[in-house]
Amino acid sequence: MSTSDTVNAGYLESLLAGRPHVPASPLAWLNTLRSEAVDRVGVLTVPTQRDEEWRFTDISQLNRMSFHPVRTTVDLQAEEAGRFRIEEAASRLVFVDGVYAPHLSIIDTDNGVSVVNLEAGLAANAVALESCLGRYAEFRNEVFSALNTAFLQDAALVVVPQDVSVSAPVHLLFIATQKDVASYPRCLLLAGSGSVVTVIEDYVSLQEDAYFTNAVTEIVLAENARVNHIRVQREGMKAVHIANGAVSLARASNYQSVSVAFGARISRYNLNVRLAEEAECAVDGLALIAGRQLADTHTCIDHAKPHAMSHQLHKCIVGGGAHAVFNGKIMVRQGAQRTDSRQSSRNLLLTNKAHVDTKPQLEIFADDVKCTHGATIGQLDSEEVFYLQSRGLSETVARNMLTYAFGAEIIERIPVPSLKSLLEQTVLDQTTVQP
Amino acid sequence: MSATLQNLVNQPYKHGFVTSIESDVAPKGLNADTIRMISAKKKEPEWLLEFRLKSYEAWLKMEEPTWPNVHYPKIDFQEISYYSAPKQKPKLKSMDEVDPELLRTFEKLGVPLHERMALAGVAVDVIFDSVSVATTYKDKLAEVGIIFCSMSEAVQDHPELVQKYLGTVIPSTDNFYAALNSAVFTDGSFCYIPKGVKCPMDLSTYFRINTEESGQFERTLIVAEEGASVSYLEGCTAPAFSSNQLHAAVVELVALDNADIKYSTVQNWYAGDEKGVGGIYNFVTKRGLAKGVNSRISWTQVETGSAITWKYPSCVLLGDNSVGEFYSVAVTNHYQQADTGTKMIHIGKNTRSTIVSKGISAGHSNNSYRGLVKVAPSATGARNYSQCDSMLVGHHSGAHTFPYIQVANNCSQVEHEASTSKIGEDQLFYFAQRGIDAEAAVSMIINGFCKDVFQQLPMEFAVEATALLSFKLEGSVG
Repeated sequence: MSTSDTVNAGYLESLLAGRPHVPASPLAWLNTLRSEAVDRVGVLTVPTQRDEEWRFTDISQLNRMSFHPVRTTVDLQAEEAGRFRIEEAASRLVFVDGVYAPHLSIIDTDNGVSVVNLEAGLAANAVALESCLGRYAEFRNEVFSALNTAFLQDAALVVVPQDVSVSAPVHLLFIATQKDVASYPRCLLLAGSGSVVTVIEDYVSLQEDAYFTNAVTEIVLAENARVNHIRVQREGMKAVHIANGAVSLARASNYQSVSVAFGARISRYNLNVRLAEEAECAVDGLALIAGRQLADTHTCIDHAKPHAMSHQLHKCIVGGGAHAVFNGKIMVRQGAQRTDSRQSSRNLLLTNKAHVDTKPQLEIFADDVKCTHGATIGQLDSEEVFYLQSRGLSETVARNMLTYAFGAEIIERIPVPSLKSLLEQTVLDQTTVQP
Repeated sequence: MSATLQNLVNQPYKHGFVTSIESDVAPKGLNADTIRMISAKKKEPEWLLEFRLKSYEAWLKMEEPTWPNVHYPKIDFQEISYYSAPKQKPKLKSMDEVDPELLRTFEKLGVPLHERMALAGVAVDVIFDSVSVATTYKDKLAEVGIIFCSMSEAVQDHPELVQKYLGTVIPSTDNFYAALNSAVFTDGSFCYIPKGVKCPMDLSTYFRINTEESGQFERTLIVAEEGASVSYLEGCTAPAFSSNQLHAAVVELVALDNADIKYSTVQNWYAGDEKGVGGIYNFVTKRGLAKGVNSRISWTQVETGSAITWKYPSCVLLGDNSVGEFYSVAVTNHYQQADTGTKMIHIGKNTRSTIVSKGISAGHSNNSYRGLVKVAPSATGARNYSQCDSMLVGHHSGAHTFPYIQVANNCSQVEHEASTSKIGEDQLFYFAQRGIDAEAAVSMIINGFCKDVFQQLPMEFAVEATALLSFKLEGSVG
């Protein structure tokens, strides 16, 4: 194989080079977890297009970019972070280049939810975290997860106690400020039984040069818990964003997620959802990309137990010479009877250089199930365009309107009004072609 | 109810018997000398030997594919005998000259050759293991200029045509099994439809693996010249053997301007016993090249047999306005594994493709649909519609879909739909209410499920396929 489509063997070592800066934790299990991850990084290799899971996603460009862990933290002014404020959010944790910034964070302790950096969380209840942290996001076979775990230090920790219901969303903001820095954002959300919470995971940038975000999020829902998870990826246009999410649902819990990808030169989001009996999840996504961007979403919804339900709608709007990838796997394990699963992948190509690879995949080992999936790739319906034209709109306006509507279907599912209108505006701006 | 039904599903393979005809079998193992031996035995021209040796060289460098969703013990390619031919006087003019034992075999299979000839007007090119024994209706076809013969005859009589098209659709380096086939193929069918000729009858070949431990490597090549059209039928059965047999065939279709090729298969090879012991490994490469404008290639398959099926009849839609179709029913029971589907490669403008795939899995079997729809930047105005439905019967079976969709221009429409269902108690109850027993009800439901595909089959095959399916699956629901 030529060197152009592989990432050099030494690449991972170069990423690991800055790890000595991570101070040892007083907790033995955390140190073990990190060193286990380091060992796995040593064993694993950076995936290439010869790996089935990365077949359509070429990350060989990493070769030409070198990243180092953050060396000096930038002292960000409150107003710089303030522009990303979401007004409904009562609590906000801010991480600058992956490092916790307490002076920018707002912690509301009144509503019973604990929103803290990992350090404080460990000080309060290390025992509870030991059984969760790093136990859901598979890092033994996923090199980027392993890298993140190796660097595990600061992390957003949201713990919702039993039967606590919070209406104000929790905002987890990750700001990139430095060029060539590799940051390792990490989130852990523990939703106690019967609790209700909304969490916004938000990746933004204050600069336009290349950097690397390698995020891991773990979400654990206890029985009857309900979590709304909104993930906004609006990184800089030269960024590389690779994220792994793992969601575990206990009996009768409900997970609603909307994930939006606008930014990054290369972005990849792996989401694994595991459902227990009677659990429900809705996993929706929108990728809106142009230029030479690549946005890849891989999801795996695992129906491990009977009577669970999953719905998924993933949309891509691809302009310029961009490339969108979607791989949605639905797994129905043996005995997971009465599973109800619906998956749909809709793709809109705006230019003739745009490119989509989609693979809705079903693996079913139970007979009494209802599973459907569908995928479409195409353009705007000419009849719809004509209809609007017949009402006096110009063709450009009609097309803009339809493109916007295509994307807005996902945005509308976001339960936070200010964020919804902000993102709607982004979609509108990006899909509007001037006549 | 389920116990009675279970009995029905566990019916032994009724085509399991061995015909004892002396075979001329080559020693086990594969090397360049084996290939020279095959080539010499078949009195082949130099270019074909070179083609074989080149393929062999390529094969040596290849690795066995591991990506299909199937599991089986590693095949020892040196344990296979690569040539076996019934010791028979070749070149028979009429059916009377055919070995009576051979005829009885076909009788048992329910392929009454003369009846078929008389009633259906089907020319059957009988393949018994690797050498063509009887070719019927040849004269009638010759009248309109159609060449329909065994591959060995074609190599002798029409070397220029074979040389021109062999390996053009599936290069010998295409994949592991195609390379192996290119190196060691012994026989197969060759069909050439000249310009503007509509083939007056359905062409048909019956394959049958006979000698134990002999892998069969057919090679089929069908060429339809400008404006020609042909419908080709392929049907298979094999006797019950306990050790696995490898079958790696290659089928190439070439359709020039305005030509139309329809290729139908009913495959009912030995699938192994109810414990999953034995059975045929069916690793086939089939591909059609819609080379000319307005050309059309249509694949229809009913896959019920084989321990492992691994095949993807594909269409390369090169000519503008060309059409590709794929209709498939795959049934697996006991421990059978099927990984099958299609590839539609859109290259020409306004190319269209349709995929209808129905998978039924029962027992402990696994049935996968794996398909690719690829629209190249040049394929403006391309259109694809895919539908793949699965039906699961029993708690231990698995159904999987792996549809790959790749689109690289913005003026194409691609749609894919899939669903999974089962035969419900309520459906069976509804039938019972109307006095139809479970057995007949299941048969009806299954046939309804597969109707879209069966409609595409030629009449005789549709009848056979319906019977085959009922026989394979009846009663596994309850």
